[in-house]
Order: sequence, then structure tokens, then C-alpha cells
Amino acid sequence: MRLTQYFAEAFAVLAGNKIRTLLTALGLIIGVMAVIAIQVLGAGMSGAIQGILGALSDRTFIVLPNQQQADFTRAAIRLSDLQRAKNEVPNVVDAIPAAPQSLRGRYGHTSRRVTVGAGTDERFAATTPIHYGRKLDPDDIALARHVCVITEKAAVKLGITGDPTGSSLRVGEHRYRIIGVLGKSNEGILPGPVAADVAIPYTTYEREYARSRAIVFVRVLMDDPSKVADTEIAMQNWLKRIKGGRVEYQTFDRKSFSKAIDGIFGAVTFVVALIGAVSLLVAGIGILNIMLVSVAERTREIGLRKAIGATRFQVLLQFFIEALALSAFGCLVGMVLGIAIGAFVNGQFIVKLSGITAPIPWVRSIAIATGFATVVTLAFGTYPAWRAATLDPIEALRYE
Amino acid sequence: MNDYLQLEPADRAAIDVRDVTKTYDLGDVKVEALRGVTFTITRGEYVAIMGPSGSGKSTLMNLLGCLDRPTTGRYFLDGSDVSTLGDDQLAAIRLKKLGFVFQGFNLLPRTTALKNVALPLFYAGINSKKRNATAADQLREVGLGDRMDHKPSELSGGQQQRVAIARALVNDPAVVLADEPTGNLDSQTSEEIMALFGHLNDGGRTIIMVTHDEDVAGHARRIIRLRDGRIVSDQVTVRS
Repeated sequence: MRLTQYFAEAFAVLAGNKIRTLLTALGLIIGVMAVIAIQVLGAGMSGAIQGILGALSDRTFIVLPNQQQADFTRAAIRLSDLQRAKNEVPNVVDAIPAAPQSLRGRYGHTSRRVTVGAGTDERFAATTPIHYGRKLDPDDIALARHVCVITEKAAVKLGITGDPTGSSLRVGEHRYRIIGVLGKSNEGILPGPVAADVAIPYTTYEREYARSRAIVFVRVLMDDPSKVADTEIAMQNWLKRIKGGRVEYQTFDRKSFSKAIDGIFGAVTFVVALIGAVSLLVAGIGILNIMLVSVAERTREIGLRKAIGATRFQVLLQFFIEALALSAFGCLVGMVLGIAIGAFVNGQFIVKLSGITAPIPWVRSIAIATGFATVVTLAFGTYPAWRAATLDPIEALRYE
Repeated sequence: MNDYLQLEPADRAAIDVRDVTKTYDLGDVKVEALRGVTFTITRGEYVAIMGPSGSGKSTLMNLLGCLDRPTTGRYFLDGSDVSTLGDDQLAAIRLKKLGFVFQGFNLLPRTTALKNVALPLFYAGINSKKRNATAADQLREVGLGDRMDHKPSELSGGQQQRVAIARALVNDPAVVLADEPTGNLDSQTSEEIMALFGHLNDGGRTIIMVTHDEDVAGHARRIIRLRDGRIVSDQVTVRS
């Protein structure tokens, strides 16, 4: 079989009917475009979030009381608990309060509200690049120094230009010497503890902000990151024991975050697949209709082809490939547009927010486009082709 | 002794039809289009089949063209029995042994003369280089060597019919079947086309033509007349 010839003829027929071809393919173009654009965006989003989580250290996890439980007050975690946990729970190096405070920050004549969080040294911190100065080190923490590392965003907010290291930043009632400015962070989308504007040594933080109140989040630092699951359970059990009674805690680490996010994206993918199936059906019916019209219009041509010796299979193949060419065209255009739109929106919003550029899921996009084309052709191109193939040549030649 | 019982086809017969009938079952009514037709056509003959409408000439043409099967009787084409073949086997016979010329030309629109002529070779599985070369030779033979890249819409009726004739000849068929080949042409063009058929016959082609036009039939060397599904006369003409 000379398939290339069949394809060449099919494309010639489609090109000879440009408006009809375009309108018929439009359903497919829009369907494939939407599905692929969402895939690209999903990949961008997922990549951004995974990137942010990747920036979280494997040596930490978060523990917090469940929101809904019988005695929330009893379950509340206090600073004294954390100091005990360090000594009593295996593999726990330290446990630190992790919910940042929102306070007024003053630098020079500029006064803005900033968040202050408990910072750790590099072993437990995100791998954020440093812009000026240095990060917190174990000495800062051991000595509970009055120093801070600020984010680039906070520097902009406070009107800081150039290298501010060594100068003083007033936050609430206290003064801290700025020792470093972090570079563009990977954490833009995630709010909360990892994104505090001003990070002070957690020891300093405990002394100045966490003494007298319940702690919302606890960040646990581990010695051996491979024992994270055991340590989480041990920490929960230990908290239950010291609090007595029916209290509930939950823990999150990088893996369980990832898992939760994978779950969300799984659901999104499922919905997208449903939308895809519906658009596939609509587009397929359009193609079915136009192929039936095409067969009817070309009845005499079919009669002629059969008269000069084309077999049923050859006629079937001709119209089947025409349907295939039509859906291949629609899916290809849809794919290109989908990737373009997805990449544009991704670039304009997600990348700008997160600073992470996820790779375009080429393989998946091509698979979707190919899958669409195959399913549409098989499901909706076969019947018209079969109709053409089984036409009686005598009747067909007489058809007006 | 009936010829029908003789199983071997007549020597040198391009077409050997024996006691062929064709009945169309239209539910309540059965229409007997052919009621027992027997004749042979030897290679190189030029035969016109004539008859009023309803005489069965179209049915006979469809049978001779292997587009249909007889209800009873035998049909040998170029030495082989084709009366009981399946659809795809008949398609293969049409491809190898028959060439069709229609009243309405039946060329593919938006397709060049060359590609139209090459179409049967495509179904024969011949590669495109050889297809084009053979089709070009055939177009030159019908006098359209300078119109190969023209589409049917750019050709006159006579030229279109020449393209159709070239297409009928391109697979070197045993028999050329022409169904009212001049029906859509003016009288002068008709003459040209008939001259072309005459020329092809002189070159040894077997031609069978269905027509209701006595002038056109006059170009053939033998006229078979049908009426009510039977042959009423079968005579050799004197060429004018």
C-alpha cells in the first residue's frame, strides 16, 4: 500500500475545501488546545510548587495540633514542650516555633509592616541563594544573637538599596543587625513560615516572641532525615503522652506535602480528562458529519474508482486516511496553540510569581494530540469510510 | 448441444457470454433484464451494442464490465470465468483486463490529466515514477501530450473524453468498454472521438460500445441489437 500517496490525496482534498476543513477541525482544535493548555499550566504550577517544596529541607518537618478536636486548649503547644522534646524524642535535634509574627519594621525613615520568623542555620534551611552578606550560622543560634537575614522582597518594602549588612533594623520593640539579604526566593507562592520577611535566630525568636503564648506551628529539626516517618510518629505520640487525654496532632514534611499536591493535581487531571472526552465527542461528531457529506458528494468518484479496479479496502483506506488527516491537522494545530497559550500564561503568571520555569510537557502534549486524533478517527472516521467502501459501483456511477 | 455446456472458452475470444440472464429482485416484482444472451467477441473486434431503453443494454454492459454478476449463465473474459467471482476478485479483473469510458467522463476534479490517467496504475501498485511515465505516454497517444498538467475544468469536453480514454487504456486492458462515449459531446467532437476509437481499433484494441445513436454505432464493425433482454440481431457493418 502506498500510504504516502493516500495521505497526499487526502491533504489535497482537504486543501481544496479550506473553509470546510477549518470549520470541521475547529472543534478538535479548541478541544485539544484547551486540554493541552491546562496540561502545560498544570505542569508549570506543579513544577513551581515542587520547586518550592524542593527548597524545603529534608531535615525538617512541621507538627501542629489538629484544628478540630475535643480540647484544643489542652492540645496547644508551649515553648517549654519544645525544649523537652529536644531531649526526649529520638532523632529530634530541636523543635522551634514556626509561625511568623506580623510587626512594624523600621529602617531609616521607612516604616512598614513585616513578618518576623524563626530562622535556622543552613543545615535545616531552604537552599535560597544569598544576595549580600551571609546566612544565619550555628553561633548566631547558640548565642541567640540579635541579628537578622531579610528577604529581597522585604528589602524593597523597607526601601533598602544596595548592601545593608551591618546596619540596624528595628522590628517591634527590638533592634537587629542585618547580616544578610536573601536572593530571589523560590517560595513566592507559599505563604507562611518559610517566607518570613525577617528571619532571626530561632533561639532569639523563642526568647522574644514565643514565651507566653501557644505555638501554632512547630518546626522539628532532625538529625537523620531518612527516619522522618518514624520521627513524626514518635513526636506525635510524645506530645499526646505529655498532654494526656484525647489530643490530636498532625505532621507535614516535604513528601507528604508533595503527596497532597499530587492528589490535587490528580483531581485536576481527571476533570481535564472529562472535559477532553466531551470535546472529543463533539469534535468527533462534526468530523463524522462532514465525512458523510464528503462521501455523498463524491459518490460518482467512488463509483469511478471502483470501476477502474479499486478494492473495497482501498476505498475504505482512502476515506479513513482523509478522516485521519483531518483530525491530525486539527490536533496538531490544537497542540501548537495549546502549548503556546499554556506557555504564555505560565510565563506571565506562574513563573513571575514563583521564579521557577517548569519544562513544557512535550511528551504528554504530543500523546494527548495523538490520542485525540486516533480516537476521533477510529470512532468517527470508520463508518463513513465503510459506507464509501460498500457502495455499489453501478449505483454510484449513476448518482447525480 | 448447447454452447453453455462447453466449459472451455472459445479460442481467441476476448468475451464469451453464454446464455446469460439477469433478474432484479425488487421485492414484489422480479424484473428480467436479460433473458438468455449468448455471443462471443474475438480480440480486435469493434462492437456496438444498441437497443431502446429497457432493452437490457445497460445491464449487459454492467455484466461485461464485471460490475455485476449474471443470475445464471457463464461469462468468460479473456479466457477466464468471471461469472461467480467475489467483489474484490471482480475489482482485480476490472483493474487488469478492462478499461471504461463513460458518457460523463468521470474524471477526478482538481486533479491533473496526468494524475487522472495514472489512477488505475496507482491501484495496481505501480510506483509513482513509472505511473507518471506510462500515463504520459498514453496521453501523448490520444493527442494530449501538451495538456498533461491541465485539470479537467481547464479542458474542453472532447479533451476530457480523450483523457478518460487514455485512462481506460493505461493498464493495457483486454477490452475497452465505452458507455455512450459521445453522449455529452457536440457532433464535431463526437466525430473526433469516434475517429480515435477507430484508430485504437486499427491498432488492435477490442472495443465494445453502448450507444443509441445509429451514426455512432455505424463506426463499429459489428452491431448487436437488444430488445426486451434478448439479442434481436447481430450483424457486421460495412464501414462508411
